Amino acid sequence: MAFPLPRGITPTEIAFLAEMETVTVVPRQRLEGLELLGGPLEPLVPPRRASLPLWLALLLKRQRRANIMPPPWLHPEALSLLLEIESQHQDYKNAFSPPPRLPGQPSVRDYQDGVMPTARPQYTRDGQKYYPAPPFLPQNVAQTTFSPTEVPPLPFHWVEVGNMLLDAASDDLVDPDQVRRLLKDLREVRMAKMRSGVDVMDAAAMGGGGVALTGVGAMEIGEERGFLTGVVDGLRKIGASKEQARREQMAEQRANGGYDGTQDEEEEDYMEF
Amino acid sequence: MSYYDIDSVLTDAQKLPCTFELEVPGLGVLEGNPGEDIKAGTRIDLPLWLGEMLSIGARLGTSRLVTLDMPEALSERVMNALKADPRTVDLRALAPHFYSLSERILELFEEEDMVDVLSDTFKKRASEIADHAHNSRGAVGDGVDFLRGLDETERQLFRAAHDRAKEMRIWSGEAKRK
Repeated sequence: MAFPLPRGITPTEIAFLAEMETVTVVPRQRLEGLELLGGPLEPLVPPRRASLPLWLALLLKRQRRANIMPPPWLHPEALSLLLEIESQHQDYKNAFSPPPRLPGQPSVRDYQDGVMPTARPQYTRDGQKYYPAPPFLPQNVAQTTFSPTEVPPLPFHWVEVGNMLLDAASDDLVDPDQVRRLLKDLREVRMAKMRSGVDVMDAAAMGGGGVALTGVGAMEIGEERGFLTGVVDGLRKIGASKEQARREQMAEQRANGGYDGTQDEEEEDYMEF
Repeated sequence: MSYYDIDSVLTDAQKLPCTFELEVPGLGVLEGNPGEDIKAGTRIDLPLWLGEMLSIGARLGTSRLVTLDMPEALSERVMNALKADPRTVDLRALAPHFYSLSERILELFEEEDMVDVLSDTFKKRASEIADHAHNSRGAVGDGVDFLRGLDETERQLFRAAHDRAKEMRIWSGEAKRK
């Protein structure tokens, strides 16, 4: 093993990716618009809010040239609501709170109606199809309209953005100590859920079944990747001989002619009696 | 499993009880008396790679040279202990590469029940490993006995989980980089 880093990407790299997230700032100084690789930035005029990439916002914040508006989910109330849902709510005992809705893509809530929603692609100026994903979605910008009934969903890069904002801009947040504590609790609850998925993992390794990781953030995936893939791999190896036998049996049945899915089940039922 | 994988090489070297079916002239060196013959019915512990090769005649239809038995690490007694409580069994004492060995054994023997017992063991122990790995006291807490009994596959699992948790703590500023 010449390469010293483990498989997957490190927390620092994930945090680097998260710095592309757009956040809302209130500038304190004028700044002309910048031409960046990711597109032009609007000029900053003091009382007016502007959307900037997180890295630039943090830079300006450190130089005291701007204040960062915290994203809607980074409020103590929103976080404690989320924590309550994650830890108490029956529906979310083994699931994570739903991720924010992606434009043109189905959200978890849609599945409850029984219809399978389909993803709608977006088109570039050249007419090419694409599906936008974080960090190129405004998931962390401050909202002007704030409905008290709906819980703001946790974005993909919630651990990173939350941590970096607490680090650099804690005076812009509402009750930073509380937020810090809630973020930590939330992370622990979700980590425990992810690890409890190990119990049903052999079904995932044998094909069929599995663990839903919908709504899990980038950092959480990065942290558990090594462990979870190791478990799946181990279970796959142990079950390999059984799987082999099952396949051979299926191939045999197919070779004997007239194999279809229903017949297989009937035969098994019969044998049990 | 790669050719250069040291764990796979070490798994190959684990001993497997074999019974010779035929008399083999001049192979007494395996038993510790060079120059002698090996009598039919002799039981010797052979490394996995050798035992596998010698027993392969059975698959080709010719009379086989040796028959393989279950190694001690996968005996009925161990399976019962694993069924009772997977967490208390010291797998490392049974075989340092317990799971890799059982993979190879399961390729040779058809033991569906054993697959179930082993998967269940692996799962139960994996969640225990995760708990220990995320404990910031690491391997010095009360779980020392359990962690000492991990086999090589499980150690790698522990390592993966523990290193990641540690990196996370360093990144978020909770722990200092050494």
